[in-house]
Amino acid sequence: MKWEIVCTGIGGRGVLLASAVLIEAATASGYHAMASDELGMSQRGGSVVSMVKVGEFDSPFVGRERADVILSFEESEFYRNLVFLKPGGLAIVNSRKPALPAAIKAVLDARKAVCHLVDTDGIAARGGSMQASNMAMLGFFSHFALGPYTFENIVGAVSRKVAAKLLDMNRAVCGAGRDEAQQRSMKTEAAL
Amino acid sequence: MSTIEVMIGNQAIALGLVEAGIDLAAAYPGTPSSEILPAVIDFKRRKQSHIHIEWSVNERVAMEVAFGAALAGKKAVCMMKQVGLNVAFPPLIRGRMKALKGALVIVSCDDPGPQSSQTEQDSRLIGTLFNVPVFDVSSPADARLLAAHALAYSAEMHLPVILRSTHRVSHAREAISLDPPAPASPALDEGLKVSKGTRLGIVASGMSCNVALDVMAELGLDDGMSLYKVAQVFPLSPEVFAFVRGMEQVLVLEETDEVLEALLSGEGRIFGRGSGAVPRQGELTYDVMRAIMQEVARGLGLGARLFSPDRTIEDAVSTVSFPRRPPKLCAGCPHRASFYSMKQAFPKAVFPGDIGCYTLGTSQGAVDTCVDMGGSIGLAAGFADAFGQDGSSPPILASLGDSTFFHAALPLLYDAAHKGKEFILVIMDNGTTAMTGMQPTPQSGARAEGKSEYAIPIEQVVKGLGIGFVRTLDPYDIPGMIRSVREAGADLRERGRGPAVIVARHPCLLFAKTGKNADAPFPDLTATCDGCKKCVKFFGCPAFFFDESEGHVKQDKALCVNCALCQFVCPQKGKGKGRPAKPKQRRPQ
Repeated sequence: MKWEIVCTGIGGRGVLLASAVLIEAATASGYHAMASDELGMSQRGGSVVSMVKVGEFDSPFVGRERADVILSFEESEFYRNLVFLKPGGLAIVNSRKPALPAAIKAVLDARKAVCHLVDTDGIAARGGSMQASNMAMLGFFSHFALGPYTFENIVGAVSRKVAAKLLDMNRAVCGAGRDEAQQRSMKTEAAL
Repeated sequence: MSTIEVMIGNQAIALGLVEAGIDLAAAYPGTPSSEILPAVIDFKRRKQSHIHIEWSVNERVAMEVAFGAALAGKKAVCMMKQVGLNVAFPPLIRGRMKALKGALVIVSCDDPGPQSSQTEQDSRLIGTLFNVPVFDVSSPADARLLAAHALAYSAEMHLPVILRSTHRVSHAREAISLDPPAPASPALDEGLKVSKGTRLGIVASGMSCNVALDVMAELGLDDGMSLYKVAQVFPLSPEVFAFVRGMEQVLVLEETDEVLEALLSGEGRIFGRGSGAVPRQGELTYDVMRAIMQEVARGLGLGARLFSPDRTIEDAVSTVSFPRRPPKLCAGCPHRASFYSMKQAFPKAVFPGDIGCYTLGTSQGAVDTCVDMGGSIGLAAGFADAFGQDGSSPPILASLGDSTFFHAALPLLYDAAHKGKEFILVIMDNGTTAMTGMQPTPQSGARAEGKSEYAIPIEQVVKGLGIGFVRTLDPYDIPGMIRSVREAGADLRERGRGPAVIVARHPCLLFAKTGKNADAPFPDLTATCDGCKKCVKFFGCPAFFFDESEGHVKQDKALCVNCALCQFVCPQKGKGKGRPAKPKQRRPQ
């Protein structure tokens, strides 16, 4: 099996830590994984893209319409990188908005792609620090249990990447992100 | 300790070099090479190796120090970015003919695109033109082994060699097994990777080879095709030529210049950057590579799953407005205050700029040129002469950073001082080499491994050249800064000779780790905003942006560091002329 994931956001907000967790979790599960980071010239606040490829690949480059998943830690960067999402792909976007712009919704529907708008900043702030927004994102993503990305594997990788004093808070925010996804899916099932 | 570790290509290069037993490492930082030397320090400590390690003041110093060690029988390595190799040209060109008692690996990291450089440049071409053996790395795991191979090759041949990386390898991450360590002289990973026929042969090196393999897998492209991976670009092995002779057509995939293509020309029909089958410049991204290979396969009638982009995605995205995010200085960056003051003091000045974070001063209209390290001073002197010749004398305000000052400015500055060239030089001293990751400068007095050392104050150097106007101040004091720049201009006119120097000193916020000043109030710009956009146009802090639909400025509290410098800029607050500056100092904790 192979997966291609694009993590995107702005500098200083934990995009690279999230992608490091993804590559670490895949490696710990016995997969070959590579990542390629684009930081630009800004030290803070610029666009950041980290491409992660898991499985038998030779390069860490993701092509347009190839990504199984886009994790967008900033809403604007989702639009900028939407061309990477493959038909039928999954996107999770940090946003407080109730819905995507109509044109974006239409093109995602036409391409049978799914997008979840999640206030990961809010989830993180309630859990102790907005800086842990990336953990809320990873927790939400773990709900889909794609390949090696179960909640246990992601939290295991977080434990190896995050400083000990911040670990409990990061774990808790990660769990809150997963809970948010579970509640939503229960609501969807109830509606059905 | 886990025996498997995820690391970036630059760490993998360092690991390979330390495992192979280097005795000395010297470097000047530059994206994408900067992480190699810190990783050498890390692996030295973990493996308890005996290695002399230093940040050099520039690439020529790094290469000569390493050269000296190699001549004396040590295994030495120097690291730099591709344009840094130009700075080290004198020892490279003469030194390539010296028989080394030890070994010398020159690690040069290229920046296809370029993403963070003034030019694209292919280090493989420099090596090939001047008979220096060149190895091209294709992935972090490959880089670790090839670094060790290059060192062994240099020791065996008694020649300096170039190990070329690109940012896509240097900044790629991959899991590397630390146990067992790499063999002392790993075999070269070079040769046939795909062998499915002779209609089309692909010759590729570096990351281009790995991207090509992924694209072939996606498009199902292997019918009638073979691929040969080159790791040693110069001198090419006879097997590469034999491979090319055995193919009907040959496609060469490489970054960034036509090096393999030129070496192989004459061996048959070759497509590549030179022939136009591959774009002449720019990075071979996945999409570029897919388009090239699809086109070549179609031309030859080879079977492939064709990819056609769905442009409805761009159509949909074009209906949404979102910030463009051009590269910007950080919120609270002292350079922004310096540029604002320079532009306010002399709005119509000519602004020769330099290489570093402060190149981003272009957005404030206070950087007109960006050529090479130290180039601000040379160009300022040239402008002063040219304008003087024509009888006009617009103010000339050059700017450069503290690390760049020590790297390249000195010959230019004492030449200008000797000849009295009339311009103002603002040395933006933030105490570190910020853009590349906070490496020490000669003024900071810190050594690569943390030991403190004799520090050279910039003012002492400048005064030692006999420059008359030398003033040091904190650019956070915007009114004082504007006044000082004007006084420097008056001094030039009075004296009739220059240059005049201002040292604008305030630590980089990331380096000093001051972060957000939680004691200071949040500097609100929105309450009195009348939509004049001056803050956006002349200051351009990432912590605020102009909302066109609402017609006023909006702030991002998460990015804001409460420096309150924007309050000087807003005509509603400080009447655009600057209030007295009282930046609150954070109490030490």
